[in-house]
Amino acid sequence: MSYKANVVNILVLLIAASVSTALAGEKNAPPSQKIPKGAKVFVAPIAGGYDNYLKDAIAKKKVPVEIVASRDQADYEITGTSESQKASTAKKVILGNWHSREEASITVSNIKSAEVVWAYSVHEEGSAHGQRSSAESCAKHLKEVIENQ
Amino acid sequence: MPRRKPLISQTPVALILCLAMGALTARLTAQETNSANTATQDQNKAADTGKTASGDKAKAPASDLKSAATDEGQLATVNNAKIPSYSKVYVAPIAGGFENYIIAGLRNKKVPLTVVIDRSKADYEISGVSDSEKAGWAKMLFIGSQQSNEQASIKISDLKTGAVIFGYSVHKTNSVRGRQSAGEACAKHIKQIVLE
Repeated sequence: MSYKANVVNILVLLIAASVSTALAGEKNAPPSQKIPKGAKVFVAPIAGGYDNYLKDAIAKKKVPVEIVASRDQADYEITGTSESQKASTAKKVILGNWHSREEASITVSNIKSAEVVWAYSVHEEGSAHGQRSSAESCAKHLKEVIENQ
Repeated sequence: MPRRKPLISQTPVALILCLAMGALTARLTAQETNSANTATQDQNKAADTGKTASGDKAKAPASDLKSAATDEGQLATVNNAKIPSYSKVYVAPIAGGFENYIIAGLRNKKVPLTVVIDRSKADYEISGVSDSEKAGWAKMLFIGSQQSNEQASIKISDLKTGAVIFGYSVHKTNSVRGRQSAGEACAKHIKQIVLE
């Protein structure tokens, strides 16, 4: 076999090896977990109307995203769950605590890539302003993530 | 001279005092029991460690399923299965929205996995159940605790082969952060089987 043919064979093998390595790396590459400023975000309905608290909190905390009304127009989607438990009579009488117990967890996902880019959960045993407090906590942390990346 | 009626009747006052004394006694007893249980658990742990060290050579593992007691729950892995880092994982909906707490836990515990919301794009699936029990009046009165009891159980299955490769269950009495704590416990143990 000629010298030229050997060189060509080696080059082909090298290219094939590099392509396969790149493909393998691509499969398990870390996701680009970034939410750009001004991204269009759709807040999906959450049980108990928590999505409304979340929209208000995003506006109040001046989170640099744009809330859109339709999922089709959005780049990102916020989904989640929340639970609010009002103070029972026993809690008021025995523990002297009138505040409600709030739990919420939200997930921000990229609609195009279907990847979850950010998630957060909050628990407040005695929430001073109920669901508003937990929603503002979510918005505050979302703002930190967007501004610090 | 007519006898004056007291402003506060004596019977209800005595009743309230009795109840308060009862509650205080019960609370003290509960605290003693807790401390006794902790001491017993410590002794058991020490004994188990001794047994494991001596029995390792004598006994070979009988099955592929390995179980290990953790601080809060039970952990089971099949054939020491591992998940490659940044594998795509789909978290199936769980009653009460517990899947959101698991996803938040994965992020909080910095587990190197990519969570996707589309099952068809995923390599693995996390599914499970969860239950939350809020503190009742009796717990508040006798124990003085308003924290909930949480329990959850999850499993991870390989979507290509259909095999369940990991299982974990958690039970938290008096969970300080409710379902958030249970979600983070699940995430912490998932991290153990992810190759970094």
